[in-house]
Amino acid sequence: MNGPPRPAGPLREGPSSGGFEPRLAETLEALAGGGFAEAEAYAKRGRSRRLLLATDQRSGSFHDERGWAVRGATARASLFACGTGDLDPGTPWPQPDGLPLPLPDPDAGGAAAAWSEPSDYESPLIGETEGLRLLDAVERALDDEMPHARLLAAHLEDGSSDSRLANRRGVAARWRLRVAVLRAEAAAGGARVSVELAAREARRFGPAAVARQLADRLTVAAAGTPEGFTGRDRGELLLAPAVAARLLAALAPLLVGPAALRLVAPLRDRRGRVAADRLSIVDDGRLPGGVLEAPVDGEGMPTRAVTLIEAGTFRQPLLSWRDAREIGDARVRPSGCVRRASWRDVPSTAPGHLYVVPDPAVPPTDLLADLARGYYLLDTAGEPAVDWRDGTFRVPVLGFSVQGGRARAPVAGVWLAGSLRALLGGVQGVGRDLTFFPYDGMIGAPSLRLTGLELRARG
Amino acid sequence: MTPSRTEPSASPPFGQQPFAGLDRAAVARALSQLADRPGDLADAWFERSEEVELPPEDRPPGVRVRREEGLAVRLLRTGAPPGSGTSAGGSHTGTGGCESWLAARDVISAEAFGEALRQASRVLPAAAYPRPEVAPAAWPGAAEAPEVLAFPAAVHRCVRQRRTAFPVALTVRRHRRWVQVVGSGKLVPEPQAEGFYSVVAELPWGRWGALFPALGAAEAEVVATALVERFRAREAPPPDPFRGAVVLAPAAAAVLLHEAVAHALEADLLALGGDPEAAVGVRFGSPLLNVLDDPAAAPEAVRRSSDDEGNGVRRRWLLRGGVVAEPLADSRWAARSDVLAPGAGRRADRHHRPSPRSTCLELVPGDQDDAALFAGADGGLHLAEAEGGDLDPLTGTFRLRFASGRRIRDGAPGEPVGACRLHGRVADLLEAVSGVGRRATPGGAGWCAKDGHKLPVWATCPALRLDGVEIVP
Repeated sequence: MNGPPRPAGPLREGPSSGGFEPRLAETLEALAGGGFAEAEAYAKRGRSRRLLLATDQRSGSFHDERGWAVRGATARASLFACGTGDLDPGTPWPQPDGLPLPLPDPDAGGAAAAWSEPSDYESPLIGETEGLRLLDAVERALDDEMPHARLLAAHLEDGSSDSRLANRRGVAARWRLRVAVLRAEAAAGGARVSVELAAREARRFGPAAVARQLADRLTVAAAGTPEGFTGRDRGELLLAPAVAARLLAALAPLLVGPAALRLVAPLRDRRGRVAADRLSIVDDGRLPGGVLEAPVDGEGMPTRAVTLIEAGTFRQPLLSWRDAREIGDARVRPSGCVRRASWRDVPSTAPGHLYVVPDPAVPPTDLLADLARGYYLLDTAGEPAVDWRDGTFRVPVLGFSVQGGRARAPVAGVWLAGSLRALLGGVQGVGRDLTFFPYDGMIGAPSLRLTGLELRARG
Repeated sequence: MTPSRTEPSASPPFGQQPFAGLDRAAVARALSQLADRPGDLADAWFERSEEVELPPEDRPPGVRVRREEGLAVRLLRTGAPPGSGTSAGGSHTGTGGCESWLAARDVISAEAFGEALRQASRVLPAAAYPRPEVAPAAWPGAAEAPEVLAFPAAVHRCVRQRRTAFPVALTVRRHRRWVQVVGSGKLVPEPQAEGFYSVVAELPWGRWGALFPALGAAEAEVVATALVERFRAREAPPPDPFRGAVVLAPAAAAVLLHEAVAHALEADLLALGGDPEAAVGVRFGSPLLNVLDDPAAAPEAVRRSSDDEGNGVRRRWLLRGGVVAEPLADSRWAARSDVLAPGAGRRADRHHRPSPRSTCLELVPGDQDDAALFAGADGGLHLAEAEGGDLDPLTGTFRLRFASGRRIRDGAPGEPVGACRLHGRVADLLEAVSGVGRRATPGGAGWCAKDGHKLPVWATCPALRLDGVEIVP
């Protein structure tokens, strides 16, 4: 068990308060007075602007978010309560139930390394006019790229948030986030595609690049299954970052939380390896420049880079201090990886920036040039399906057939499928073009060259 | 306290309407300052919601309570002339298009309302903000939900009574919401309240979920029956692909109609393919299909007299004899049409805009009893519950997923089969309806997450028979 509760310590990292001073200490006191030996109080403020360009409408909205959450536990039971507005120590707490819930000590997640808040966290939200012009520019750029295509909708959200947390064991933390997301959907003929990107500021999105991605995908998606495709092909593959990252997101259960150990066991070979030498996977909640870059996680524990797979060898899953204690293996290193998706959500272990480590010496064009006969897969056309029982996966994809390092014909209406062992073990080359996408956390991958998987026609 | 078999189900009480003290007239006057052009609509949305969650017992925190309240002010400008917005132009603002501006706050106060009004209007000078009294009543004491706490034990007891045992992790939630809409230039509707329950079961062989307007012994029986059916089908192989007869039990028929009829007839989704009005009069399915949406006929605890835009709800025929009678529309779509009528605008919360959605679907019963529905269907499938479905509004392609089913043998459900999908074009599937049961069953059709905006949907449906449809594993 943790030691006895302590008074809240000094704030861990973070800049000045900016006028946001939630009543954390009074709330912890009130919870203690109500019999909760373990108590945590959290408060968040956020602002966001959302803009939409859709069929026959344009709209804008501004959202001012204020929420709080507490967790409390007696020796026998626990509760979570949250609400809008300001944290009020006089709130009547519900009766706890279920099992007790331990909360972390300040040193439960290990020592905190120094961290400076990026200067762009102070940047203002995108203005309404500027944001709508950006979306209009996406539409115009798509029209230039592909005149018969139609932008069905383009959404832009730009937001910032400020969070405070304290618990009775002495943890005290503040962190801020600055996140923008752009999602665009387009159609041409019977094909419909979408692109979703995230950045720290909306101003970083390039309309021409978004339009080009939409047009590329529409061109391929409209082509359908190519003539002469016999139903299955085991050619070499080059996965663009969008495909590789989507697969990595689907493989998160292999890499996150205590249950990962059970899932990864059947994939280990006799030497304990689970992947090809070229494959290394890391999670880093404070990745410099990352969209979710923060010094601490949702429980106030310091974030850090953790290597999960190193040159093909599984090192450990991504574990919070609580997960590590559950496993009871002194060799694993916990990290600050507990996420609060919002103030409404119970914190849980989740990736921050989970990514395949790129090879800075390999441009993706080199990987394409090496492809004698195979496929360059640009994007997925739906959710991957993973069967953990038989260790297989499949995902609808679209791209190009390739011969002699050159794209030959578009390919759509096909599945990329195979075993998880082949997926992880078949990585022959890793590019330098690491790109992150907003899934459950920011998930990133560079281009990957693979063998051992197959394309199947979709029935 | 644990409910017994004879105990009535508990429905959430709605005695404490939080918006009784809201100065509606002053709010309406303030909104009228926003709606200053012909075709403008301004409204204010006040909401309070509470969710009590009991997670599986081994997942602390052991009880979870979420209480929210907030407001939103919206200005909807229909028929906006080209370039009237802030943009440099583009095809989305032509004549007949619309602009909408929204400001949302996680607090209900005069100050928050004034700020939201200013942000939604985008032009009002600071000195002109009206600040009417809008504060809601204080929250009552701590949330208590004894019926939620007692429910898992009741389900486990019902499972044991069926002489089975298997691991199951139950999450039980009680949802309550109170809403007041005030619009410019129209009568202020009565406050609305909804309360219902959701249950999610995690089994080693998949998840199962349901919505209930009440929670008690009868609902525990329903949950236990479904879980035991899933348990018995756990190792059943999926059916080989085939084209043939399928009988959908009322719960599965409700999901089919929600996905294939309600979503397909939402004005905004119809607009993706052209003019929503053009759908009226089009033959969309079998003449046996008479489908309507009626929020006022939903189970009492979720019944509505006005929609989430403050428009009165009505009994809206979607299909009559398989022909489209009237699409689902909200104020935005109705303002631009002589054919589309409002009353079907729903919003997930203050941070989302309303959009056309169904609330409670009804399929008018036919004349077939179970024997008639199963007659000649040997070799086909009886599918009791759908896991979910999805519709691509551009292509009209539709999929309905089932975790298990039963092979029809000798005119009745026989041995279990594993997971399968019903798929095809919506029009083809609805045209394949060859029989409608005579006994309609009310219930929850499930959560609908259109564009990520999650809302409960309800239905009263009989069983349906479809012939010549394609089933794939």
